Amino acid sequence: MTPSREQELKIDNYLRKFRQCLPSMPIADQEEIIREISVHIRESAQQPNASVDEILHRLGPAENLASEYAQDRLIERASASFSPLLIVRATLELARRGVEGLAVFLGVITGYAFGGGLLLTAALKPIFPRQTGLWIGPGVFDFGIHEPRYAAPVHEVLGWWYIPVAFWLGSFFVWLTTYGIRRFLRRSKQSRPLFNRGQIGMNHI
Amino acid sequence: MKIMNPSAVDPEKGQSAERWEQQLRKGSLEMATLAALWTGRLYGLEIIRRFEDSSQLALTEGTIYPILSRLKNEGLLASEWVEAQAGHPRKYYWLTGAGRARLKHMAETWTEFSRELGRLIRPVIEARKEEVMK
Repeated sequence: MTPSREQELKIDNYLRKFRQCLPSMPIADQEEIIREISVHIRESAQQPNASVDEILHRLGPAENLASEYAQDRLIERASASFSPLLIVRATLELARRGVEGLAVFLGVITGYAFGGGLLLTAALKPIFPRQTGLWIGPGVFDFGIHEPRYAAPVHEVLGWWYIPVAFWLGSFFVWLTTYGIRRFLRRSKQSRPLFNRGQIGMNHI
Repeated sequence: MKIMNPSAVDPEKGQSAERWEQQLRKGSLEMATLAALWTGRLYGLEIIRRFEDSSQLALTEGTIYPILSRLKNEGLLASEWVEAQAGHPRKYYWLTGAGRARLKHMAETWTEFSRELGRLIRPVIEARKEEVMK
């Protein structure tokens, strides 16, 4: 059965919405995905007594279908990226999928917060030289930026060396977090568990 | 084809039991998709029809395509568009060597897991049978 003009319009609307909701990816990949869904709809519509409404219902809402591709794409891109923003977004997606993902997300946030914080204090040292540093004394090991609050014998030990030390340590933690999470994402792609909340979400049931 | 609808809850089972059942089906779809391709190449709609034959694998049809795309990206499947003599071109999928190896591993894990679980729940099933007999 060939779809009527009205049914063709419904198919076109569905595909247009699907296209809009797909994540950014190479045009060729995007076109291939849309072509596959389009062929599925049109071939299903040719079956006797087929209803386009029913076919589209079975496919699920266009935005939900696109989001399934988006989630996988995000994790795929993050596993090959050095962008902390992309990595945080991908781990946030993992956090939504289960306890292990949540632990990874918290680890990433902690790693970037610590590394980024050190880099920030290294940059602020020239502006707030007395408030930024590493203070050591009996029972005290404190570093970062705050109002001077220690009296002798606690004293700031690094002086201007704080800048390269904090810069190096901050960079190291940012690198370590990025490297660690990239390894994790690549490993999790290769050993996807049999029961993965990404697949068992209720969106398409 | 049976389409699972979250709003249609069997009052005997309750919502959480129904959800668990749906999750169980969907959770095994990746393995089922690989298994459907074990004997040869198929395109998306054929895989869906194969699942229709096994009513326990009820799913909405949109679920299968992102899974195929993911499995292909992971190198477990390969694909090719084939122009049909009449009708629409079809994107055929087949298992790669890595896909066959992954499926064998999954099948072994699944068999072991279900055997252990079956042993644990056997008394429950027997009790249920006795209830039905009465």
